[in-house]
Amino acid sequence: MKQIEVRLSVEVVAPLLDVVRETAQQLRAEPSPAVHLPSLPDDLRDFWRADVVKSQTSDLDTLLGLFGETFISEGVVYLDSRNAQPVLRATAAVRLQLHRNQLSGLSEEELEAGEISIDALTAPLRRAFVCYLFLATLQELILHHLNPVENA
Amino acid sequence: MNAAVETLPMPSPASETLTELEHASRWLVVVLNDPVNLMSYVVMVFRKVLGLDEIQARKHMLEVHEKGRSVVWSGAREQAEAYAYTLQQWQLTTVLESEEYETD
Repeated sequence: MKQIEVRLSVEVVAPLLDVVRETAQQLRAEPSPAVHLPSLPDDLRDFWRADVVKSQTSDLDTLLGLFGETFISEGVVYLDSRNAQPVLRATAAVRLQLHRNQLSGLSEEELEAGEISIDALTAPLRRAFVCYLFLATLQELILHHLNPVENA
Repeated sequence: MNAAVETLPMPSPASETLTELEHASRWLVVVLNDPVNLMSYVVMVFRKVLGLDEIQARKHMLEVHEKGRSVVWSGAREQAEAYAYTLQQWQLTTVLESEEYETD
């Protein structure tokens, strides 16, 4: 099984994990912005919502599980073919939720191009935006080294 | 007023059934644009979930990005629901639309 070891600065990443945990808490109770319930047939909506939230919660547990004791003591997270897919989905969910709740004031062009002056942001917004970038980097690492299609 | 109502032809159950048969529904799985997900991520999800090759997956991803939406699959309701559910699990904003069409 292919595994990659990612070394991170605990001092830099720990505050971002607080953002991830807060957002994960929201996503344990409601579907992410990707879930469009109004378009669903009436008979499916409640079941669908509950099932999506359950699936999201499982993915988020895997993501947060990366940052346990080994990360705190050694600054290392391990990614492999077992956790790559749930971590990809969880990071996407957290990024979407951050965008909906905290980063919606930033323009789509700015977000897509990544051309945002971090110094100009307020402290909470800066933390949310850096977390958003950190999770994108994690996704890029997985797609590059453990792509679920190429490594199927 | 009442007289007018009484003169309206009432459809028989048989003709209602015939109408249903003549207008079957095709369900569309539509992925909508979001400013968040990485292009490479969207391509991977299309390949993984829908079984598209790299070229088709990129074509749909660009359609989503440039036009705001792309119909990534169409067909029977159950399969459409399964695809929409899985795409939403992968955090792509996906809606289901039904499209009526005439049958022979």
